[in-house]
Amino acid sequence: MRDVVFWLSGAALAFLLTAGAFLFLANLATAPSEKRLNPDQAGGESVDLILDRERLASLKSLPDQSLALVVENQGGEQLSNVNVTLRVFSENTVLSNPRYYRQTVEKIPAGEAARVRFEFDLPAREDPVARPRTENPEPSREILEIRVTTPEGNSTVRTVILPP
Amino acid sequence: MLSRAGLVKRVAVLSVAAVFVAAGCAHADKDVSIEPLVPAAGRVDPGLGPGTRALSSGPGYKASPRWSPGGDRIAFTIDGYVVDRPTDSEELRRWTTRDFIAEDSEWISEDTLMILGAASPSGKEENPNSLYRARADENPLELEQVEKEVSAIGPGRGVLISALGRGAFESGLALMRGNGDLRRLYSESIKGRVASFSLSPDGDEAVLAVRPPGDLEVSRLHVFDLRKGEGREITRLDGNQEIIGTPQWTGQHLYFVAGEKNTPVDRDGSEPLYEIYRVPEEGGAPEAAPGVGEDFVAASIRVSPDGERLALIGRLNPKSPTNLYVLDPLAKDLTAVTTNEDMEIKTGPDDLAWSPEGDSVAVIARGTPSTEPEVRVTPADRLLEDFYNLYEIPVGGPKEATR
Repeated sequence: MRDVVFWLSGAALAFLLTAGAFLFLANLATAPSEKRLNPDQAGGESVDLILDRERLASLKSLPDQSLALVVENQGGEQLSNVNVTLRVFSENTVLSNPRYYRQTVEKIPAGEAARVRFEFDLPAREDPVARPRTENPEPSREILEIRVTTPEGNSTVRTVILPP
Repeated sequence: MLSRAGLVKRVAVLSVAAVFVAAGCAHADKDVSIEPLVPAAGRVDPGLGPGTRALSSGPGYKASPRWSPGGDRIAFTIDGYVVDRPTDSEELRRWTTRDFIAEDSEWISEDTLMILGAASPSGKEENPNSLYRARADENPLELEQVEKEVSAIGPGRGVLISALGRGAFESGLALMRGNGDLRRLYSESIKGRVASFSLSPDGDEAVLAVRPPGDLEVSRLHVFDLRKGEGREITRLDGNQEIIGTPQWTGQHLYFVAGEKNTPVDRDGSEPLYEIYRVPEEGGAPEAAPGVGEDFVAASIRVSPDGERLALIGRLNPKSPTNLYVLDPLAKDLTAVTTNEDMEIKTGPDDLAWSPEGDSVAVIARGTPSTEPEVRVTPADRLLEDFYNLYEIPVGGPKEATR
């Protein structure tokens, strides 16, 4: 009887040790890889950028467009003075110079998010006149490049390609 | 009943087992980070097959890839201006300003590009292109105009060959040295406008695609003997047929892409149905190129540096995707280099180029554009499939490519 109890308790101990090791290793593996998925992450607290696809789809190639986005502090400390830049430009690299818009979020508590709204002009699409064959015969798409940067140098980026 | 020693032994065995189990999971610690694609740093497979290497990234309409003589750089146009870059890094070097519209460029040495284009982007016939020279060791944006009214350029044996307009209805050929000096100006005129040309395998002759005086279509093939300075018409297309791109010379035949100019687009809205034809170098009526299949829809062709293979961009039939093929004209054997179904390979007549070694081909391709906004987690200038970009596709040596 004592022998059976010993083996059962031993097996339970081994199970607990193994499960603990699994949990420990799982935590080790997941926390850093989330950061690595972000190509611009330079270390430290992470920020995420959430875009509303329906709102993106409703953007028109006209002046006075607006876009609300959410900046999420995924780290364990409050973030201050987070810069959010929007670069608007055409797929056609000759057509126009990029336009830059910038906003600063003063504070984002740990684990919370802040909403940022941009008012901007989308460049007018070019007139589809006859062009030399070295130029794109298709109407160019417009591109929004949104970058969130913390004072510590951490950043995340989203590139939105709008259909013509 | 267990002795104290037995108890200790069993606890030790269980502990070791637990450690082994835990240690077996420790490989998760070696998780490899997911880095963004670095176009020139290594091979990527964007759907064009294993071993494909991206040679550009980011927005812009790329066209006319041209390998440097040594094969370590590649020049191309982006939205009409000329850039080049090493094949193993991303340091883009600009050769013309954004208001310059380049039609073509050719390397004349490792540090000199000859550029055909116009400084003002009119894109109209009445504003003919000029030939410019740009040197890497000077300010490349300062172009030196070396010839006016140039309709086409192409590499010769150690020289650049240019087709010059002579009045409204005639053309002539000229050989030019790397320094821009004229080496030979041929007195014999060619009736019509030379739209494009390429050399024979021995480099002594050139095959020209010519637009006859007063016509709208390029419909005649000429052969010009560069030693004797004499030309002759090889064939002419009937009716509404036109020659697309640059005719190519391999073996004893001249190959070209042609079709009816006003062919209505097929049902899926893609390009007209052009085919590959060939004529003997002595002249005669064009015949469908053997080996490609009667349903093949051609877009562009280019002969390999050894003159023995033809790279083709086209579709096996009107409903199949566009891919890169290599044709061995002697064996009449067509080999599919790519079996892509997701990428749109660009079908411009000058949008493919053999590497100088003849073991790879540069093409331009992109993923199918979406009708919905696309969101990427990469900066725009690092994106590949979202825009037309250059890819180097290995085709193997002559024996590999033709099996």
